[in-house]
Amino acid sequence: MTRYERAAAAAVVLMLVAGAAIFLYAPTDALQGPVQRIFYLHVSAAIAAYGCFAVVLAGGAIYLRNGSLVADRFARAGALVGLVFTTVTLVMGMLWAKPIWGTYWTWDARLTSTLVLWIIYAGYLLVRRLAEPGRQAARFAAVVGIFGFIDVPVVHFSVTWWQTVHPGPIIVNDALPPEMLATFFLTMACTLVLAAVMVVIRYRIETLTDGSVQRVAERAPIVSARETEAEPIN
Amino acid sequence: MTNSFAVAFAVARKDLRAEWRTRELVPALAQFVILALVIANFGFQIDSRNAPAIAPGILWLALVFAGLVAFGRAFAAEREQASLEALLMTPASPIAIFAGKALAATLLLVGCEAVLLPALAIFFGTPLSIQVVAAVFVATIGMASLGCLFAAMVARVRARELLLPLLTLPLWIPFIVAGGQAVQVAMGASGSYDQAMALLVDFDILFVVLTSLAARFVLDD
Repeated sequence: MTRYERAAAAAVVLMLVAGAAIFLYAPTDALQGPVQRIFYLHVSAAIAAYGCFAVVLAGGAIYLRNGSLVADRFARAGALVGLVFTTVTLVMGMLWAKPIWGTYWTWDARLTSTLVLWIIYAGYLLVRRLAEPGRQAARFAAVVGIFGFIDVPVVHFSVTWWQTVHPGPIIVNDALPPEMLATFFLTMACTLVLAAVMVVIRYRIETLTDGSVQRVAERAPIVSARETEAEPIN
Repeated sequence: MTNSFAVAFAVARKDLRAEWRTRELVPALAQFVILALVIANFGFQIDSRNAPAIAPGILWLALVFAGLVAFGRAFAAEREQASLEALLMTPASPIAIFAGKALAATLLLVGCEAVLLPALAIFFGTPLSIQVVAAVFVATIGMASLGCLFAAMVARVRARELLLPLLTLPLWIPFIVAGGQAVQVAMGASGSYDQAMALLVDFDILFVVLTSLAARFVLDD
């Protein structure tokens, strides 16, 4: 087992522990019933996504400053993992909304801004795919990542800035019983570990991909060098 | 500093003169927005009662898609002639060149708005008040700065027609939220016009500053 496989296995075990806490330890909500258990992963995934997009922002800014390849690879990894967690947040939220609000979707400020966040980072990944690989893709994506991060505080504060039907902040308002609070913090910690492990593994994949691209690129100049050497003979 | 302004105005003048000589973009955009109104008429069953509620939405839809075409074209001519590289090789600062191109594209979009807004008033019977014009114009400034930044970026990317809307539209949403509210209020809905306009000005400042900072990394290659 490599380091990465061990880390992945540990993250999966942690998520199972969190699952056990959500379904076995946390009490059932008096008003919403078992559906409320979605909350733990839904909020944790949202926070993990914010964290990943912060990595994209920092990686992009550092890349634009000094052209660090490491920073760029972290940004790439963060965008993909962040998009996965945003998807989880959206899907879990919709599953919760159907029984509670009676509809999967409503054009509420937080839902809309989260959907926009998803679209922005999906666009980020498209830029990476369509731009010329290397410096150009990294530069353009860094700019998109920096602009895209503007939406993160908008999503976060949307429930306080606008009138929305989305539940407001309940963690900081002390509205949860201690068992629920403990379950939430455990789930959040496990989800953050999972996100970090996913970013690191993705970083490794990006490094290996860059390496193989590099080797292909290195082979090409050798051919052209021989050709230029051969020229004087003709 | 004055030199940068001179460069920006020179680039803008060049783009506007090219448009004046060919007269391609503005007539095409004008026709495009009129067509959008015609299609909206069939899609919505518009009468005098529901027009004030529907017209703001049609206005922003038409404007957003006309804007995408306008900003996409801003760098298309340079790419076709490979003249952007030549422009960037001059000692002029890339930010000044970017500002000039953004200014020209903005003015062309304003030309298209000068057709869209009266047409909307005629066909849908909505008021063409100074409030509506002001909201659309203030939103155009910020939308143009973002649109031009991403147009400059995708000009050198494969599948640019695909990528420009995907990158630009999500970041234009703040302008459509605030601008949409301002126009709705100006057309008779309840709400605060001043608050929406203040928000639009804030977004303008934020995105003009950010795009001028980022322009260097997009153009300078």
